[in-house]
Amino acid sequence: MSELPFGPPVRVSPLIRFGRWSFLGAGILYGAFHQSRLSKREEKLREIEAKEKVIRDEKLKKEKAIAAAAEIKALEEMVAKK
Amino acid sequence: MASAVGKIPALVSTAITLARPKFNIFMKYARVELAPPKLSEIPQIKAGIGKLLTSAKTGAWKNQTVKQATLNALVGAEVIFWFYIGECIGKRHIVGYDV
Repeated sequence: MSELPFGPPVRVSPLIRFGRWSFLGAGILYGAFHQSRLSKREEKLREIEAKEKVIRDEKLKKEKAIAAAAEIKALEEMVAKK
Repeated sequence: MASAVGKIPALVSTAITLARPKFNIFMKYARVELAPPKLSEIPQIKAGIGKLLTSAKTGAWKNQTVKQATLNALVGAEVIFWFYIGECIGKRHIVGYDV
C-alpha cells in the first residue's frame, strides 16, 4: 500500500458501507420483483390486445368493403348519367 | 475506412495496457473503501444506527455546521443511489423496465 498516489485509503465508516451494500441488495430485490410484476401485467394486456385486434381488423375489413362498394356504385352512376 | 477498422484491435489493446495500472490502483482502494461490512463490525454498525436514531429523536441533527450538513447529505445521497444501481441490476435494463 506504499505506492498509492492518493495516500492511504480512507477507512469508510462501517455504517456507510453497510448502508451501501444493504441498499444495493434491496435495490436488486426490488428491481427483480417489480420487473416480474410489470412483465406479468404487460403479458395480460398483450393477450387482450391480440383478441381485440382480430375483432378490430374484421370490422375495418367490413367497413372498407362497404366503402369500396359505395364508391363503385357512385362511379357507375356518374358514368351512366353521361 | 478499412485501415481504421484494422486499427481497432491495436487501439483496444493499447487502451487496456494503459488502463491496467489505473485499474489496479482503483482496486486497491476499492478493496478497502468499498468492502462489504464484516461480521466483526456489526456492533459498530448497530452503534451507528443508534446514533442516527438518537440524533433524529433529540433533534441533534439540526445542530451541525452547514459544512457538516452538506457532507452528511452528500454521503446519504450516495448511499441511497446504490439502491438505484441495485434496481438497474435487478430489472436487467438501464432505462425503464423492459417488459
